[in-house]
Amino acid sequence: MVDSLFPTIDTTDDVASPESRRKRRRISETSKEAAESSSEAQRINEESSKRWRTNRVQQIYASKLIEALRRVRQRSNDAGKITSVAREIRDTADRVLAASARGTSRWSRSILAARVRACLKKHKKAKSKGTRKPRKDTAAERRRVEKLPAVERKLKILGRLVPGCRKVDVPNLLDEASDYIAALEMQVRAMESLAELLAAAAPPSTTLTRP
Amino acid sequence: MSSRRSRQSGISDDQIANLVTKLQHLIPELRRRRSGKVSASTVLQETCNYIRNLHREVDDLSDRLSELLASTDDNSAEAAIIRSLLN
Repeated sequence: MVDSLFPTIDTTDDVASPESRRKRRRISETSKEAAESSSEAQRINEESSKRWRTNRVQQIYASKLIEALRRVRQRSNDAGKITSVAREIRDTADRVLAASARGTSRWSRSILAARVRACLKKHKKAKSKGTRKPRKDTAAERRRVEKLPAVERKLKILGRLVPGCRKVDVPNLLDEASDYIAALEMQVRAMESLAELLAAAAPPSTTLTRP
Repeated sequence: MSSRRSRQSGISDDQIANLVTKLQHLIPELRRRRSGKVSASTVLQETCNYIRNLHREVDDLSDRLSELLASTDDNSAEAAIIRSLLN
């Protein structure tokens, strides 16, 4: 019954056919070396996307998320803090997502490490944000960055978007970004299905603004 | 001219080509275009946009879930139902 709640995502078909078509075209057009590297890249892509695209992964994530959310709500209710619930949920969702990666990716380790640092800071009652290294953002540095070619600039932006990847070199940044994107897609799907579940289970008297 | 620029930037053309092929498969926007000739700049731009979109979706979903959870928190029977559905 649970399977029907999570629609089967038939991505293997999506991924396989255009890629095999492209693979055939590539091999005929370019040299063998380029073909090998592109098929290698496709294989790595498939591996990381398969990791995050199975139904099982999504189900596990959804149940872990619900557990974690209940624990967090309990704790914040007991502590009497007034934190934005949406923020809590977002942070919890990211934490559970990072935990699902099991430490194999840089972005997941960075998310978890950042939370540990934040917890330690709160316990230490540090008055200043001294633990964070001040960014040497001088005007000269900024001018240099702006003069870089567009590709380099965008690579830097990409490095900022993926957690913990500001100073990662290009090939690793690519791997991290592809894994991160696949994980984010899974997160969106899981949260979407959770929201639908809750909306269906909630009493009809609650006014829900459905987009 | 382009070879001089790439030597200055320190990113080889190989890496850029690899970048384009890899990311093109991932981003649905680029999969749809499939023109076969997307520049590295476009690919990177679309990737960044896509990640930002995904972040925004997660934020929106968190908002929705916060509203929904508030209504079911009081009713522990429903919580039990949901948990059993997920397991």
